[in-house]
Amino acid sequence: MQTMRHLSRSGLRTSLFSRRTLRDSLIRLNPALLLSNPVMFIVELTFFVVAAMAVYPPAFWPVASLALRVYYVEIALILLLTVWFATLSNALAESQAKNTANSLRSLESEVQSKKILVEGDVRRVVATPSTALRKGDLILLEKNDVVPIDAEVLEGISMVDESLLTGESTPVRKAPGDEVIGGSKIISDNLTARVTVNPEETYISQMIKMVESSKRPRTPNEVAVTMVLVGLTAIFTIIVSALLGLSITLNLAIDLSVLIALYVCLLPTTIGALLPAIGLSGISRLYRRKIVAKSGRAVERAGDTDVIILDKTGTITVGNRQATEFIPFEGHTSKEVGEAAFLSSWHDDTPEGRSLIRLAYEDGFVPRELNALAVSEVYEFSASTRTSGVKISQGSGFMLPKGDKSGRERGRLRRKFEPRQEAGSAPSEDETEIIKGAPDAVKKIVRTVPSNYDELVNQISSRGDTPLAVTKNREAIGLIRLRDVLKPDIREKIESVKVMGIRPVMLTGDQPLTAKSIANEVGIDEYKPEAKPEDKYEIVMREQAENRVVAMIGDGTNDAPALAAADVGLAMNSGTQAAKEAANMVDLESNPAKIIEVVMLGKQLLMTRGAVTTFSIANDVAKYFAIVPVMFASTLPQLKALNILGLGLNTAVLSALIFNAVIIPLLIPLAMRGIRFKPTSTMSLFIKNALIYGGGGIIVPFIGIKLIDTALLSLGA
Amino acid sequence: MIQPADFLTLVLILLSAIVAGRLLAPYIVKIFTHAPSRLDRFLDPVEKAIYRLLGVAPSHGMGWREYFLSALIVNIFQMILAFIIFVFQGGLPLNPQGFPGFSLDLAFMQVISFGTNTNLQHYNGEGVCNQLPNCYPLNNTPGLSYLSQMTAVQFLQFTSATTGICVAAAMIRGFVANSRDMGNFYTDFVRSLTRLFLPLCLIAALIFVGLGVPQTLNGYRIVSTLEGSTQTILVGPVASLVSIMQLGTNGGGYYGANSAYPFQNPNPASDIFQIFLMLLIPTALCFVYGQMLGKKKEARPILWGAYSLFAIDLLIAFIPNYTLSRGMEARFGGFFSTFWTVVTTAVTTGSVNSSLFGNHPLVILSAFMGMLIQSSPGGKGVGVMYMVMYVVITVFIVGLMSGRTPEYLGMKINARDVKLVMLTFLVHPVIILVPTVLAYATGAASAIGVSTGSTGFTQIFYEFTSAAANNGSDFLGATGNTPFFNISTALVMLSGRFIPIGLLLALAGSMMNRRRTSEIGLRTDSATFTIVLVGSILLLVVLTFFPFLALGPILEFFQKRVNGF
Amino acid sequence: MSLTKEIGRNSTPAIRLAVVSMLLCGLLFPLAVTGFAQVLFPSQANGSIAHFTTSNSKAVGSYLIAQNFSDPLLFEPRNSSLSASGVDPDITLQDAIAQVPRISNLTGIPQGDINDIINQNVEGTFWIFGSPYVNVLRLNLALIHNFQTIYEQKDPGLFVL
Repeated sequence: MQTMRHLSRSGLRTSLFSRRTLRDSLIRLNPALLLSNPVMFIVELTFFVVAAMAVYPPAFWPVASLALRVYYVEIALILLLTVWFATLSNALAESQAKNTANSLRSLESEVQSKKILVEGDVRRVVATPSTALRKGDLILLEKNDVVPIDAEVLEGISMVDESLLTGESTPVRKAPGDEVIGGSKIISDNLTARVTVNPEETYISQMIKMVESSKRPRTPNEVAVTMVLVGLTAIFTIIVSALLGLSITLNLAIDLSVLIALYVCLLPTTIGALLPAIGLSGISRLYRRKIVAKSGRAVERAGDTDVIILDKTGTITVGNRQATEFIPFEGHTSKEVGEAAFLSSWHDDTPEGRSLIRLAYEDGFVPRELNALAVSEVYEFSASTRTSGVKISQGSGFMLPKGDKSGRERGRLRRKFEPRQEAGSAPSEDETEIIKGAPDAVKKIVRTVPSNYDELVNQISSRGDTPLAVTKNREAIGLIRLRDVLKPDIREKIESVKVMGIRPVMLTGDQPLTAKSIANEVGIDEYKPEAKPEDKYEIVMREQAENRVVAMIGDGTNDAPALAAADVGLAMNSGTQAAKEAANMVDLESNPAKIIEVVMLGKQLLMTRGAVTTFSIANDVAKYFAIVPVMFASTLPQLKALNILGLGLNTAVLSALIFNAVIIPLLIPLAMRGIRFKPTSTMSLFIKNALIYGGGGIIVPFIGIKLIDTALLSLGA
Repeated sequence: MIQPADFLTLVLILLSAIVAGRLLAPYIVKIFTHAPSRLDRFLDPVEKAIYRLLGVAPSHGMGWREYFLSALIVNIFQMILAFIIFVFQGGLPLNPQGFPGFSLDLAFMQVISFGTNTNLQHYNGEGVCNQLPNCYPLNNTPGLSYLSQMTAVQFLQFTSATTGICVAAAMIRGFVANSRDMGNFYTDFVRSLTRLFLPLCLIAALIFVGLGVPQTLNGYRIVSTLEGSTQTILVGPVASLVSIMQLGTNGGGYYGANSAYPFQNPNPASDIFQIFLMLLIPTALCFVYGQMLGKKKEARPILWGAYSLFAIDLLIAFIPNYTLSRGMEARFGGFFSTFWTVVTTAVTTGSVNSSLFGNHPLVILSAFMGMLIQSSPGGKGVGVMYMVMYVVITVFIVGLMSGRTPEYLGMKINARDVKLVMLTFLVHPVIILVPTVLAYATGAASAIGVSTGSTGFTQIFYEFTSAAANNGSDFLGATGNTPFFNISTALVMLSGRFIPIGLLLALAGSMMNRRRTSEIGLRTDSATFTIVLVGSILLLVVLTFFPFLALGPILEFFQKRVNGF
Repeated sequence: MSLTKEIGRNSTPAIRLAVVSMLLCGLLFPLAVTGFAQVLFPSQANGSIAHFTTSNSKAVGSYLIAQNFSDPLLFEPRNSSLSASGVDPDITLQDAIAQVPRISNLTGIPQGDINDIINQNVEGTFWIFGSPYVNVLRLNLALIHNFQTIYEQKDPGLFVL
């Protein structure tokens, strides 16, 4: 849990407010380094001007006076502080991003693989980390292994579970010449394969590069926001220059330092200071969720998502199905079916098999024949028959221990009573043969097919479940209902996506009835059953032709074109190299459901930027009312009526300037954490944020400036 | 505070303008979409003949740059023609009073003034100083001959109004989905003249004559009064000018006193009709925007945004009590004088029916707001253009908070758009503030007797604000006829007109082939958005000039509150 | 297309359009309006000239342009420098009523009769709208017309041709 400690609040503080961060922030005060931040660059220039005024006021006659030297020093210090707060926020955000990126190093995918070393005729298997594999290496893939890297099968036939990669929940048969994909799981038999790609470069180094602000390219939206800031800066430059000109020509006797204070207060310093930090923190927040974005642009784009393509397996449902019901055919009972299922699943270590035993056990369908399992013959699931089963001789065996069995315990029992491997001879009189499997495969081996066989099979499918047929001595006795298990809170997630105006599209390898039922259950209106990976590309193209922004996940090589085409492509770290290269984000935890979080993070980033910009500009109202009345106070006392805050004549300017500086560090947490929001429609978000940050942006500085002014006055300033 | 009956009058006038604008809009849309119309039978042959004469292919679609350039070139040639008339009017016909020609700097300033739809006037058209309150010796400011009033003033009033509505149509086309080009300036220009301005002005002019506005080519009439003294009755082709000056939101009057002069505005009926005409086309164009886009609801923020700002202007102007005071006409009283000042600045017409000197400082503040915002609802054409620009920038800044990259009409707003908008925003501060400071720094202000106090500052600041906003109302009048003010205001008017038009056409041009999504994120047609829009405009536009407004009308307000109004 | 090419291509049509629009808007339009106006509303089109109809029909100014009345027997206009135009032909109703006692005293015309004449000449109101005003020249002509003998006696100069 190294990572989590880094991310906890206190951890964040200690690691961020380091001496290095401080040094970093001071180095950034160098004007040459500030050029990329025009607003802060100008604030620093004004600092130099006011500092010069403090050093030698006569040079600025008639707009500076010796008597105000202390005042100039104060203003200069606040100006410098303003710039420092900006560089500090930047350094903090960068340090946070780097720390998070570093903490992810441990998560980089390092699957142990079994490399085959060929020395003459002798083959030796060596445990090797997957990152050390090279193209052309031979690897051994045994049952239950995770394929470490894309490879081509040389020997053996095997069933491979690619569901996490392709969304296809049915295992795929792999024979020599086929490609196995990194991240998929071998569920039967052994394979020898040759590695076809070199493992990828580590992402961490790429990420570190990206978070170094000096090198980080600005995103299109950041460029546009910068345009607004530059434009406002230019406008206020003209305004203040004109005031200076009028002050001289109309003898208004406005001190230059006051004009500069007005200038800096009007400049959008808050957003100018926090803009880089907001962008960086957005990326950091992705890192914290163990997602690597290849560019900041992709994160922004995620916020714009109109359509989100979801793979059923892994996103909407957990990868495996669970048995929920035993359905007997005419002339048989549930108990019969349950007991047969129990027996046939005893040696089946897949989650489905375990769920069958659990269900039978819960229903009290524990078979008598259990004792005979010791001398049973097991038919392992094979890709060719698509069935599995067991043949039991009567008479001998063991008693089932009371209570639930843990997997480990069952493993121990199995090792003890390891069945004979040879299979296939027809059952004799005192033998019971139980076979279960896909209904259409089972149909071929039973002696008679019950009249309502197909009807019941379809009934189960139409509910979104998968039927499994059970035979006893080649007689169909019933069906088992296997149900897809929805991920916890997936319905809420889908709902939140929908209220934000994003359309979810579900892809699944399931047949239409099953797909429809699941889609209905989670509230998805659009789904594609019997989907092939190529379908994703078609959907991406179709939606993009309507100018919609599409987000999707993928991991297989087949997904790569779609991932490349999609506006937001999130690849699974367990996926193939090709997929990861095509995508613009990679989830190190390989959790496809995170695509929804990515979209929310993108929105949060844009909202935070908009909120701070709006807040910053709205602040100007109060600052005008704080400074303008006292600016003219000496020559145009009538304008004191505009001093609606009742600020002190000597403290008003300082108060506004201090508020202007202090609001930056106060908003750093907001900038780094992102503004909080509940998923609602775009319009409600807009209204709510406009009220909080627009309305608040007008009101807060009135209160803040008044408080600072009161404090200054009580200090006798 | 406003009296109930006056309030009702005001509401009825505004409502009638909105209703009439709504009724006129489909007709204007037909002009620019070339949809079949019953008038085609009569006008098609005329227009085709004109196209042949010009040697243009009416079907040729222009990009934003060619559209802008052709508009600019046509405008320049028109101004040159008017310049010749002004300078040489002394030797040209239709000059019964025998006025000499304008000086070169005055002629330069005046053609730009009329050509840019500003109508700032540094002369008195009638040529004699008839005991006006702000009338100084006018030795060097001759009046205008009938020929000048017609072929220079009215001519440019027509063409500048037409240009305004054409560039607005071009800009809208940029925002229309799947449009291939921004239209053809020549056909837009000819059709707007033949189908909109000429027929409407003919009707309006005759109504004005009926209400008492003269329309004659006979010279000034000398009569002896009831008591036997001699009086000159200053008649002329007035009604034809008044119709276009109000309908085209030009504002340049036949007389120095503009619509305060009884011949230009004889009674409350003619006053209401002129207010109505000023509001008609700017209001209609708000609807035209939605209709041309094919999204009528998108007219809502444009129209209601404009009218909300207008309502704020009115609210400020009617805070003080209004009575018939110095500088107002008895037939209009305090109410119609105040109302007019707000309207004429809100639609940047610039005509006046009272002397600005007679208006309360808060009314002047309200006038400033109208001119600085330029789209409440603004001058015909440019008002809509500015409002669309405000929508774009509001969508960009505030719309980010909805969690999507800001989109308007489904189009993402990019850095270039923002740059063009910010450049447009920058135009006003530069062209208003720089010459204002220069007027004092060079001594040009004191040379014409303008003080450095709040009243004086208001006059100078108002002069350049009015010039920049292409409004045309001013305090200086003929006293501004000095080389400094003629040349500076001419440059300000020119920049204030054509730089924003060019920038906004460029903005629209880049929108033309942009990808659009049909997904609606931020609803720009909602009431909430309109409120945010109005807030943003007040913040970005009015607040920017707050220190200067404080030095002018606001200071004047506080001073007079102490010293009495 | 290059900038210079765009400019060059548009120069000829532009100058032609300038000339055509000048003739259309600057000459044809005002002349057409003048023609219609002179036929439809000759009086207004020529300046709403007021005529002294009592004994002869000499022109005595325009109803729309104020003239000085120094004669205390007649209504006085606003002081010219108080209005925006300097030739404001009207006074408010209150202003007119305020002058009634003076005129009544000097001429001997009963105040009620003068008030009646004022009321017959009030303009500017419609239903609940507007504020009333009176045209000074119209008022004075009505006064002279109604009390011709008194004015012939008191100020014969008014009746000189």
